[in-house]
Amino acid sequence: MEDLLSYLHFVVLPQMIDALIIGAALALVALGLTMIFGLLDVINLAHGDLYMLGGYAAFALLGWGAGYWGAIVLVPLLIGLVGWGLEEAGIRPLLPRGDRAIVTLLLTFGVSLMLRDTAQVVWGTETHAVAAPFTGIASVAQVFVPIYRLFVLSISLAVIVATWWLVYRTRIGAVLRATAVDPPMVASFGIPIRWVYSFTFIYGCGLAGLAGVLLSPIYAVFPTMGHDFLVLAFAVVIVGGMGSIIGTIIAALFLAQVQGLASLWIPPVWAETLVYCVMLLVLVLRPSGLFHRIGEA
Amino acid sequence: MIKVRALNKAFGALRAVSDFTFEAPPNRITSIIGPNGAGKSTAFNLISGRLVPDTGTVELDGRDVTGQPPYALTHFGVARSFQITNLFFGLSTLENVRLACQSLERRSTYLARLSRSSRPLVRAQAILEQFGLQDRADELVRNLSHGDQRRIEIAVCMGLDPKLLMLDEPTQGMSPGETAEFDALIKSLASRVTILLIEHDVDLVMSLSDHVIVMHQGEKLFEGGPEEVRASKRVREAYLGVHDAAA
Amino acid sequence: MLQTNTPGMSTTPLSTPLRSRVSQRLLQALQSAGCEPRQLRWFAISMLAIAAIFPWLGGSFFIRLGIEALLLGTVALSVDILLGYAGLLSLGQAAYFGLAAYISALMYLHVTQSFWLVLLAVLITVGALSLALGAVAIRAKGVYFALITFGAAEILSKIAHNTRAIGGSDGLIGIPVPRIPLLPGIRLDLADNLAFYYFVLAVLVLIYLGMRRVLDTGFGSVLRAVRDNSDRVPYLGYNPFWYKLLAYVLAAQIAAFGGLIYPLLRGFVAPHLFGFEISTKAVVVALVGGIGTLLGPLVGSVIITFLESVVGSYTERHLFVLGAIFVVFVMFLPDGLLGLARRLTRRRSGRS
Repeated sequence: MEDLLSYLHFVVLPQMIDALIIGAALALVALGLTMIFGLLDVINLAHGDLYMLGGYAAFALLGWGAGYWGAIVLVPLLIGLVGWGLEEAGIRPLLPRGDRAIVTLLLTFGVSLMLRDTAQVVWGTETHAVAAPFTGIASVAQVFVPIYRLFVLSISLAVIVATWWLVYRTRIGAVLRATAVDPPMVASFGIPIRWVYSFTFIYGCGLAGLAGVLLSPIYAVFPTMGHDFLVLAFAVVIVGGMGSIIGTIIAALFLAQVQGLASLWIPPVWAETLVYCVMLLVLVLRPSGLFHRIGEA
Repeated sequence: MIKVRALNKAFGALRAVSDFTFEAPPNRITSIIGPNGAGKSTAFNLISGRLVPDTGTVELDGRDVTGQPPYALTHFGVARSFQITNLFFGLSTLENVRLACQSLERRSTYLARLSRSSRPLVRAQAILEQFGLQDRADELVRNLSHGDQRRIEIAVCMGLDPKLLMLDEPTQGMSPGETAEFDALIKSLASRVTILLIEHDVDLVMSLSDHVIVMHQGEKLFEGGPEEVRASKRVREAYLGVHDAAA
Repeated sequence: MLQTNTPGMSTTPLSTPLRSRVSQRLLQALQSAGCEPRQLRWFAISMLAIAAIFPWLGGSFFIRLGIEALLLGTVALSVDILLGYAGLLSLGQAAYFGLAAYISALMYLHVTQSFWLVLLAVLITVGALSLALGAVAIRAKGVYFALITFGAAEILSKIAHNTRAIGGSDGLIGIPVPRIPLLPGIRLDLADNLAFYYFVLAVLVLIYLGMRRVLDTGFGSVLRAVRDNSDRVPYLGYNPFWYKLLAYVLAAQIAAFGGLIYPLLRGFVAPHLFGFEISTKAVVVALVGGIGTLLGPLVGSVIITFLESVVGSYTERHLFVLGAIFVVFVMFLPDGLLGLARRLTRRRSGRS
């Protein structure tokens, strides 16, 4: 019994805490993806690369002497700007088409290739380390956790809660949700749908950028970091329900735990595969995911 | 010919169709009318396989076809047209009808080259001529006028050689001239098939129908001949009364 | 599936008076927004002629590049069958490419040197997997089908990556190049680049003609209808599921042929053969060539493969160029190069 408790305390719990941190950051990336799909019916395959750009931007800003705090504010804004550019130039012209989900998927794939290559041009193919703003270990329930990771967790959770509050408790959020359901109706109220779409897109991309900044000291930055995270983010979005905020948050935390705990007993690479299998299972059994789309009952 | 008994369909708290029972006599024109939201389209969908009823039965010539999918129903002789034109817009008029004719052939013929399986093609050409569409045979449907498209909707149905022809607001968007043509067309078809019709054009309904069913809020309000319907106070209150006041 | 509403694409109003000869009417009746048989045939023949002379113009490097282009072409062709004819976007055709490649490699390394035996093994395995996955994926609507195929390919990729026994992340190397017994006494030595090239070209031509024939049937006409308006199809008496499934299984086999050959060309297999990059590149290439034409993906894959090679010799930025090309095509030329060619020649012949 003692051994079991000990095992739970010193092996399982640290893993769960770690998974919690990753899950929160994953939720940030997945939230952007799900909001964009939920509102615009657009699948943004470049989303992972926006996360990557966030990481690189942090690396660059820090290299130029900007403080970490500056980076954490600036980078989401910068990435949001990139997202805006993408939206204006690429996505908007395609929105009227009936097959927009598929066409934008293809388009953003092309953009993803371009972004990835650009990153390689500017920063090379090696991995760059990013310094964490503070070091030090804290003790949480007798488990040692780097303070920075706790910081990442708190910021992530704060932003997640803020996003939820924005969508479900503010007027802007009400407009967003209404637009997801019935755009012409909302337009007839005199609300500029264009700006609703743009705002959502920018916000979603900003979230990805923020995740990039937050995770860069933990994972370092390299050109393909976007891809794996993107697939994971998609798994989250699919399981949670495409277009569902709550679903994404829960699915992110859940899947991160699944992967984290599974890694205790099976090789970590298989744990990742397990997550994909869960995704496939959900796609097959309940494609709309566990929760409903924004605006739907 | 078609017997519908106690059909029920609810969407959550909304009872779209409630205890709907009627019988459409063979080779006659039966119309379903009613104000918007009365449940006419839902009833149609329940009969044509688009929706599965919660309870109730649909019987075709004595055979129970409740809940069968559309592609099974066509082989029992049911063909239905759509309120919003739902054709193959990127294909030609002839191809649209030919596809319908082809489905009557045995599946084993589907591996043969198209030029060899001429029976669907010949039938389709005949149907186009019957509908006066032979000049537009090779035009893509998306380039044709609305009136033409509505006629093609029916032509496609006839390609299935149906026993029951279900037309969902066929004159939707038609001009008075086109509606008059349609009136004649339906009358010419009526001797060979049983026709079930949803319509909003009350004059057309009265002129065409042998039998009328009035729906209101998901339920059958009245069933009878056109004159009986016109005379019924209940119907007038619920539906025609509104129409008369507006007229 | 990629509905285009650009003006030039709408229709060809036939000015010739209608004759009652059944076959002519049939040709015209088959005209969808896709192919115009006669024009396409000329184009196809000229492409074939170029492909036939090509090896004599370039060195062995280019011949091998050509073979690689043709192999990508098989995956792109499989994408087009699904997208251009059944209306299904598959983002995971590489699953079958990779599966065939690994089976091929493993069998050559450990089991047999017989090409025909390997072919049989691939046919059966890919057939089984595509039947299972297809049955499950096709039930899903639109975007979800794409995601399921994507997910499945990713999972296969990860499995290959994680399993040491089949090479892990490094894959397998040292795959021998076989001699294929075609007829008693005649063997095809794939070590000879020219023989290899013509062999692949010949099979590809057979596949192409075979697909043309399949699409020119009642089955093919239903597929086209499914692509045009899959909602209406059941009301015409067809259950779209079986048609889509058959198309899916067929497409998988075609992609598998490419995978079967790949290890013989490059001598190795690796997990990236299942990867997203190949699946999406196949889609890119099919789009660039022209969806719904069968020929388009083949043309597209040749052009892109060679373009990448050329661009690659000047700069390392071929990923960027590929992405940019793709973006341009998705936005401005959704009917691809073949669609463009068709519009240009139509205008020139005064038909529009």
